[in-house]
Amino acid sequence: MSAVAQPPTVPPVRAPAQRERGLRLGPVLLTLPAALTLLAFLIAPLAAFAVYSFLTGSLYEVSGPLTLENYREIAESEINRKLARNSLIVGVLAAVSSVLVALPIAYWLRYTTSRAKPLVLFLIIASFLASYLVRIYAWRTILGAEGVVNSGLGALGVIDEPLTFLVFNRFAVTLALVHIYLPYVILVIYAGLGPLQPAYLEAAQDLGAGWFQRWRRVVLPLTAAPAASALLFVFVLSAADYVTPQFLGGTASVMIGVQVQVAFQGTGDYAGGAAISFALLAGFLVCYAVVALGLRLAKLDRLRFVA
Amino acid sequence: MRLPHSCGWVDGAFTSGGGETVTNEEILQAMVQRATRRRFLQRAGALGVGTLALPGLLAACGDDEEGGGGSAATAEETAGPAEVPAASGRLDYLSWEGYDIPDALKAWKQANDINVKTNYIANHDDIQAKIKAGGSAAGFDIITYYQGYKPLYAQLEILKPIDESKLPELGNLDEFWGADLGNFWVDADGTRTGVPWTWTALGISYDEAKTPAPTSHYDLLDAKFKGKVAVVDDPTGAWAITTHILGMKPDEVAKGDLAKVNDFLSKIIAQSSGVSPSFGDVTTKLTSGDAVVAFQGWSAVNKFAADAGTKSIKWTLPKEGGFTACDCWAIASTSDNDDAVYSWMNETLKPEVHAAAADYVVGGVTVGDAFPLVSKDVQKLYPLDQQAEVLEKAPLYNNPPVESDEFVTFEEVLKNWQELKAGAGS
Repeated sequence: MSAVAQPPTVPPVRAPAQRERGLRLGPVLLTLPAALTLLAFLIAPLAAFAVYSFLTGSLYEVSGPLTLENYREIAESEINRKLARNSLIVGVLAAVSSVLVALPIAYWLRYTTSRAKPLVLFLIIASFLASYLVRIYAWRTILGAEGVVNSGLGALGVIDEPLTFLVFNRFAVTLALVHIYLPYVILVIYAGLGPLQPAYLEAAQDLGAGWFQRWRRVVLPLTAAPAASALLFVFVLSAADYVTPQFLGGTASVMIGVQVQVAFQGTGDYAGGAAISFALLAGFLVCYAVVALGLRLAKLDRLRFVA
Repeated sequence: MRLPHSCGWVDGAFTSGGGETVTNEEILQAMVQRATRRRFLQRAGALGVGTLALPGLLAACGDDEEGGGGSAATAEETAGPAEVPAASGRLDYLSWEGYDIPDALKAWKQANDINVKTNYIANHDDIQAKIKAGGSAAGFDIITYYQGYKPLYAQLEILKPIDESKLPELGNLDEFWGADLGNFWVDADGTRTGVPWTWTALGISYDEAKTPAPTSHYDLLDAKFKGKVAVVDDPTGAWAITTHILGMKPDEVAKGDLAKVNDFLSKIIAQSSGVSPSFGDVTTKLTSGDAVVAFQGWSAVNKFAADAGTKSIKWTLPKEGGFTACDCWAIASTSDNDDAVYSWMNETLKPEVHAAAADYVVGGVTVGDAFPLVSKDVQKLYPLDQQAEVLEKAPLYNNPPVESDEFVTFEEVLKNWQELKAGAGS
């Protein structure tokens, strides 16, 4: 009996339409758990508080009917305006300072061949291990009346009385916030610089560009997006912070976040607290829009790296 | 002398429902007399004489013959002999860190197989905020409140009535604290909602290495203290002490008098280097030289500072006085393990445990028999023989009313405080 050659077994090929549907569904299924979690624990509570903000709150309860009264009160409140202004100033100062300090560090980390690079990266990450409050108190220890700076200057005979302008003011708050958020900003910009190959800079140099031109025409356009992300990140967190100002801010640096805390915790005015939160959120969205518009006008939002 | 349920505070003294005025000194004398009587009865009890009748006898207020002055006696008469409920299981605790007195209660927890799940608060308002936010699902069993919060907590219905028949150790309370002072822990109808267990008076803390003791709260407004006054972020406390200084009662400040209170408070805040979020921060400011004096000074700060190596922080009650805060154990409306709470309360009213707790939280005792067992440091901070004098100058007050058309309300005080804090820097 002669053997008859059998055609090799070929796995069934899925129809193009079926494969396309699978490709479409795959990412959806993968993101479903995260989406459901966000829906349950972020979107739904936010939606509830959005409704609360249009109700009347008193003693940890809310009641109808729908009203704009909370928003009217926010708009007419002089104290809210003042605290919002404080938040805006501190947020902008902290965000801009953080990005300005982080950019050269991230740039160095990206292009250095130094053996110190892993150590520096480790130190940046290690700073996350220190508690938020410990870092705030560290600044009190450094800047306080009997702190490191005053003691040092006193020992050197430079001052007779402690310098009182170092702490309990906006400067101290900004300094601490920059210290707290700087590692995040460095890492965000460092990651953003990842695709910026050294070859781009070498090519620019070969074409006769000086260091400033290389920075302005190659590095800056390609780092604008991550830097803007980091800027907004620090701005939102700093402007909404209400803890750091309590420890370092003095009497002139109370910020708007305190109003939210008091509404939810002290007076139990859920509706008023929700309204302040959404007013803040609206403010942050405006800031986001301004930055995005700025990037677009500068034509920095459409740049893509080419592998 | 019997203190009726309708008694209240007027100018640092009690007034009975019939208008009879009872001073703190008289109450203390009665308290001392009763302590002597208690010791006698304890000896009698040790000999097996009338042990079950002890709580009822001890609850007699000042005058044995009148009987039934204390609320414990009322319960005894109606509920029969006291019995400690059997306790076990999980106990959800919601209060300050430290008030769970882990060392003092270690043996009790082991003996009863109780697992205490601690939920610490950052400020007093966390208690009602967490209970109201979580509803019955929150499951908190034991909470504390300081006397001023009673009206708010009653309105929010977050306190369960306490069955005094389940608190045989309640009779250990000194007469002063066992009485229903201003309905802080016993309602006018005799319903108990709290068991007072530690107290403190608030005056002025100062660094004696840098300044002599201030004799008046107005001394803090002196230019030499500019930027050197510590102020803690406690709106109701600041309100209470300021209204006391101005000769008002914190829960009866006419809306038209708000400006007078604000005038003083805004000047105090303007003297500060910023309002501190906690007494821990006040202590840090005093010990680090960032503050020299503290408004709303708490005597326990002396010990905290000494433990941190600065022994020069002292406390004084200036000539205007101050106010006293007394914390009570209470059963939360969300509790599903009341028996464990009763057992906890009984345990902490035993003199040995009470003394250990007082040492741990650096607070005054409400069980007089615990005083000799307290450390010398804490005895010095809360001397029993000066208790009446302190409470005379620094009375117990209620917080502002929750609702009122006539008086400044609790909510208005909180909002007002925020405005003062924000406005101080302008």
